[in-house]
Amino acid sequence: MRIVAVTSCITGIAHTYMAAEALEQAAKHLGHDITVETQGSAGSTAMPQSTIEAADFCIFANDLDVKDIARFAGKPFVHVSVSTVLTDAASVLSDAVAAFTSGTLALVEAATPAGSASVLSTPTESKKRGFFRRLFG
Amino acid sequence: MPTGKIALTTAELVIVGLEADTKESATRMLAERMVAAGRVTEIEGYLEDVRLREAQMDTGLPGGIGIPHARSEFVTHPTVAIGTSVRGVDFGAHDGPAHLVFLIGAPSGSDDAHLHILAALARTLVHEDFRQMLREADSPTVIADIIKKEVTL
Repeated sequence: MRIVAVTSCITGIAHTYMAAEALEQAAKHLGHDITVETQGSAGSTAMPQSTIEAADFCIFANDLDVKDIARFAGKPFVHVSVSTVLTDAASVLSDAVAAFTSGTLALVEAATPAGSASVLSTPTESKKRGFFRRLFG
Repeated sequence: MPTGKIALTTAELVIVGLEADTKESATRMLAERMVAAGRVTEIEGYLEDVRLREAQMDTGLPGGIGIPHARSEFVTHPTVAIGTSVRGVDFGAHDGPAHLVFLIGAPSGSDDAHLHILAALARTLVHEDFRQMLREADSPTVIADIIKKEVTL
C-alpha cells in the first residue's frame, strides 16, 4: 500500500518527529510504502505532488491544521491523534489499511479559499464520509 | 551541524539516578543543570514555559519516557538534559512512569536549521534499542556519548 502522512504537534519540536518516525518504522515492518511530511518547527518541506497523487490514502496525525490541505483533495484519509500514533503506530496503519480496503474512508474535500482547513485540528478521529462537508458548512 | 560547536547535551546535563518524586521536581533538577551549563538564562521563566506546554497535554509516552519541552526565550541553544530513574517518575503515560526523562529546550527565536538536531533527537527516542542503551548506561559521560553518536543530522 502507498501511504502519505502529515504529522504536527503543539510545540513542533518533539511529537511531530516522533510520530513520523513511528509511522515510518511501522510501515517498514508491515511492508507498506509511506512518505511523511513533518510540519514542525524545523521547517516543513512539502512532499512532491506526484507522491500524493500516487498514494492510496492519507494519514493525518496532526494537532495543528494541515498546511495546504488542498493538495490532498480527493484522497481517502484518516485522522488520528499524535498520541495514538505514538502509542501504537502499527495498529493505526493496520486499521487505516483495513478501512481503505473496505472503502469506508472519507475523502479530503476540494480546496477552501485559503487552501487549508482548520477542521483537522480536532482531536477526534473521523472515518465518516462527509466529515469535511459538514464542517465547512 | 547547524548548531556549530554547541553540543545537544554534555555529561553535566545528565543525571543518573534522578531523585525526584514528581515530574515538577524532575524537571526543575534538570533545568538547574541547564542553568549551570549556561543553556538557560532564567530558570523560573523557562520552567513556566515548560509548565504551559505540559498543561496542554502530558508528555509521558509509551516506553517509559517523559519529554517535558518548550520553545523559550530563556533558552540559548537547542539542548536536552537527561535524567534516568530506576523507580520512575510519573509523566502521565498510560503504561507507567518514565525511567528516562528528556528535558528539551529550544530557543524561541532560533531559525529552522537550529531545530533540526532536536527533530533528530525526537526521532531517535522512538527506538527501544536506543532507550535501552540509555537506561543501562551507568554514567553521565556514557549517556552524553550515546546521544552524540546516535543523534546525528
